[in-house]
Amino acid sequence: MKRFECLQAIATLIKDELFVTTAGGATAEWNAVRPSDGNIQVKTLGLCSSIGLGLAISLPKRKVFVFDGDGALWMNLGSLATIALHQPKNLIHICWDNKQYESSGGEPTVSTAGNIDFAGVAQSAGIQSALAVSTVVELKEAVSHALGQDGPHFIWARIEAGRAEAPPLRYDELENKYRFIRYIEETEGINILRVSLPASYQLK
Amino acid sequence: MGTIEGSRLILAGLKDAGINLVASVPDINMLELINLLYEDNEITHVPVGREEEGIGVCTGAHLAGKQPAMLMQNGGLLNSCNGLTTTALQFGIPILLLIYYAGDMGDNAFHMVGLVTEPVLQGLGIKYTVMRDPAKVKQDIAGAVIAAKSSKRPVALLLTRAVL
Repeated sequence: MKRFECLQAIATLIKDELFVTTAGGATAEWNAVRPSDGNIQVKTLGLCSSIGLGLAISLPKRKVFVFDGDGALWMNLGSLATIALHQPKNLIHICWDNKQYESSGGEPTVSTAGNIDFAGVAQSAGIQSALAVSTVVELKEAVSHALGQDGPHFIWARIEAGRAEAPPLRYDELENKYRFIRYIEETEGINILRVSLPASYQLK
Repeated sequence: MGTIEGSRLILAGLKDAGINLVASVPDINMLELINLLYEDNEITHVPVGREEEGIGVCTGAHLAGKQPAMLMQNGGLLNSCNGLTTTALQFGIPILLLIYYAGDMGDNAFHMVGLVTEPVLQGLGIKYTVMRDPAKVKQDIAGAVIAAKSSKRPVALLLTRAVL
């Protein structure tokens, strides 16, 4: 299965969930499929799962998706243990495994040799809901299950290599951050970004 | 290990400054402080396995409206440099970095880490205060949190044995 068709299938299942997307091809493709201020891009390889964990712990009633890659997950494999330690019920972690560092030119990753079972690693770390999928039908079933049941959930999506045509992101990381925070403020009804009054206003 | 009095003062300073989530990787000199965090009900404590994960957790927490801090040893500061640079600094994320200053004058462990700590913070462009005066603990913490929030950047406090 191709990542783009997987993303199109997921888009039919979701509403206002938050998406943390890895430094890689999944980010541009997801923003093409589901443009939303509820998407935040990640620039540090491997850190998407940790950022997603921080979001999920801080907004326990909100579903948080993490789109990881095989190279990125290899770099922060310990995050599976940390997620398992904290057991965020609202975290849905999907690893798009194309068996290569696609954004770096296609070099092999730990997954290329075919020895690693990422779902097995997640399960042994303590993430009970850990599945491997290799068809769009299986993926849709896994995501539907994850949306309906308490997690944390880990889905190892074994995909073909290759990127779909997707336009570059419309905004840089700073604008993305502000839009994402504003989206959380509006959808959660909370105030996050506060600007202090100038000192002169605080005089009596 | 630190003292219970010093650790209580730091915890109170964090609460006064509005910190409500702390990710951590331990150091022996922060044992008492970490024990207090495990027992505390007001601050969400998120132990992580490696310090760079903590920078990610703090970033996610900030995006969700929390005021986060990362508690670690200065060896962990070195472990988190990429996350600090390409996530915290590049996205403009205020995080209070509470760093035990191993290899400081009078501390005989990890002298090399002590040697590079301040130059690394300077190289990253991260503002910092070395905390040496127990009487100024609350003031130092409050000042660092204001600096982090107004600059939208990580700001560091180097904790020495004098204040722990």
